[in-house]
Amino acid sequence: MVRMLRCLATEELLRKKRVARRIGMLVLIYLGSVAVLPAAEPGVHFMHHGAMPPGAIGMEQLQRGGPLPGYFQPVEIKAPPGALISLATSGDFGAAQKVPLRVGFLIGQVYRLRVMNIPLALGMEVFPTIEVIDRIYPPPGEQRRFAIPIELTDEDLKLALGGKFVTRVIYLEDPNQALPTREDPQAQNWFEVGQGQDPLEMADALGRPVAILRLGARLPDDVRGPGPQFLFGCPPFETFEPPAAATPARAAFPEEPQP
Amino acid sequence: MRYAAPAETADQQWPDAWRFFLIALCTLIFCSCRHHTPQTGLPYDAYQPSTAALPAAAYTAMPAPADQTEAWAPPGIQRPWPPEEYLRDGGDRGLPAEVGDQWEVRGLELEDTIAHYDTLDGQTVVEPSNRVHIYSPRFGAVRKVVSLVANEQMDLAAGMYLPEKLVGPTTTQPVATSTQNVQAERQIGTKSTVAFRTRQGDGVLSNATKPRAFQDTFLPYENVKVIRQGIFEGTEMAWLARGVDAAVTWTADQAVQVILDRQSAMVANNDQSLQSVFTVKEPPADPKLRVVKVASTKFAEPGDEVSFTIRFDNVGNQLIGNVTIIDNLTTRLEYVPDSAECTLDADFFTQPNEGDSLAIRCELRDPLPPGEGGILRFRCTVR
Repeated sequence: MVRMLRCLATEELLRKKRVARRIGMLVLIYLGSVAVLPAAEPGVHFMHHGAMPPGAIGMEQLQRGGPLPGYFQPVEIKAPPGALISLATSGDFGAAQKVPLRVGFLIGQVYRLRVMNIPLALGMEVFPTIEVIDRIYPPPGEQRRFAIPIELTDEDLKLALGGKFVTRVIYLEDPNQALPTREDPQAQNWFEVGQGQDPLEMADALGRPVAILRLGARLPDDVRGPGPQFLFGCPPFETFEPPAAATPARAAFPEEPQP
Repeated sequence: MRYAAPAETADQQWPDAWRFFLIALCTLIFCSCRHHTPQTGLPYDAYQPSTAALPAAAYTAMPAPADQTEAWAPPGIQRPWPPEEYLRDGGDRGLPAEVGDQWEVRGLELEDTIAHYDTLDGQTVVEPSNRVHIYSPRFGAVRKVVSLVANEQMDLAAGMYLPEKLVGPTTTQPVATSTQNVQAERQIGTKSTVAFRTRQGDGVLSNATKPRAFQDTFLPYENVKVIRQGIFEGTEMAWLARGVDAAVTWTADQAVQVILDRQSAMVANNDQSLQSVFTVKEPPADPKLRVVKVASTKFAEPGDEVSFTIRFDNVGNQLIGNVTIIDNLTTRLEYVPDSAECTLDADFFTQPNEGDSLAIRCELRDPLPPGEGGILRFRCTVR
């Protein structure tokens, strides 16, 4: 049996090397485990939800930057035939206009509407709000041709008259998730979410939310009329002229005047 | 003098295999790190706020607007932007398409447009076309209906009726309890989200149409030399680049530059003699098919009809055969039946694809000699 002569200096040196190796291994393991955290896929956290008060989402969108402030996003408001719509201007509702109505709304502002002359509910009025939370980017010169369609369906109006609160989030469809159906120009494709589900989150999964329509529940004061809080300050909007009537085509070979 | 037990060496405590395993594990973990960059997020940090003013027609009569002559896009983002507002058709995205032994095509995704042909040495070559963008946003909506009545409570108007007696003290009794006879109304969900429905084709070519006579006039949007005559000019590059982002087949000089007696010539100059030596070498076989695709419009609304024109040319130096052009239409493009036509003799087939649309297949009957080409044209309706 061979025994090793005890040498304090050598033993101390070996002990230090062992400790240094173990510390090095622990540092490597720690760094490796920490590096896993940023390598993981980040979880999706939605800052907004569909039940937020009108204007909250749009204002936060403006704070994110981009060419959103000051841009009038064209929207086309549709309603059942015969219905009339008036927009809030100068502290009160303006003149009633026929549908479909094309206007330009500022992003982040809330616009209060008055819907009158509802079919089969004459004499009753609904006061929905429209909040544009994002814009689209058409080619130059085609900004007014491509408007965001906002539909006030007959069913939604009836639900609002019955005391329900309807939230409709309009989104820009992702072509990779497009429904394989031809779009009806008179009726927009839409989904319905149940209780416990967020319409804004669902719209974000299907595309890019661009506007929120809320209708139901709120009525102006009977005595004092609609106040500035009810009208959200009457933000400015842009009115589009109706398309000019087509001029008759000129004959290629005009007839010569008869003598 | 005392003898101590031999100290445990590091090799005994940490075997080589264990140390190598630990180092490899740490290396793998380090290599798994990657910098996360938002795929669809907007680089708003780099954006400088615009100074766009309100339009003149604004209700507030604010200052005159700055004319927006160019659509905005975030810095560093490739146009067209944003991508979800555009319909795309053409190119070969995702997995590269390839052709099997029985001419079955694999790796053909939606929006892809490819052409494949056989060379003289028995190879099958796949060439993608360029990609065409059409501005056509489509909107949808998500609705939620809730009831504002969360808690309904009814109280009795009075507690009790106690008539007074003529004799005796008057006693009144306050209301001590209230009866809640109506429970809180529940919120009832009505419908769930409709699931997407996909349909897989049976893999069999289901429709065969005979070729029709080609309309022997060019449409206005086809007024480029590469479409009319098959000659690519650099001056038309900007026009074509408006709808092109993957012009992989015609951005370089791929045709023969100098030809002497049908053979390319090379010149060798020697400074030690007064004469020049001209040598003629046989050019190597270089089969090449150029596929250029254009659309009739840059923007369309749902319901509009869009015409697509595909110009194909054999820009190689040998004969190619079994030329087949396939356009796998995206979901939002619906093929107009019997609208495909070709300047050469060809057979047309359609096959349902996974996007509930069609894949159009055009097979040329005759081989395509060098320098020859043709035009394929068809129409689609935007859904």
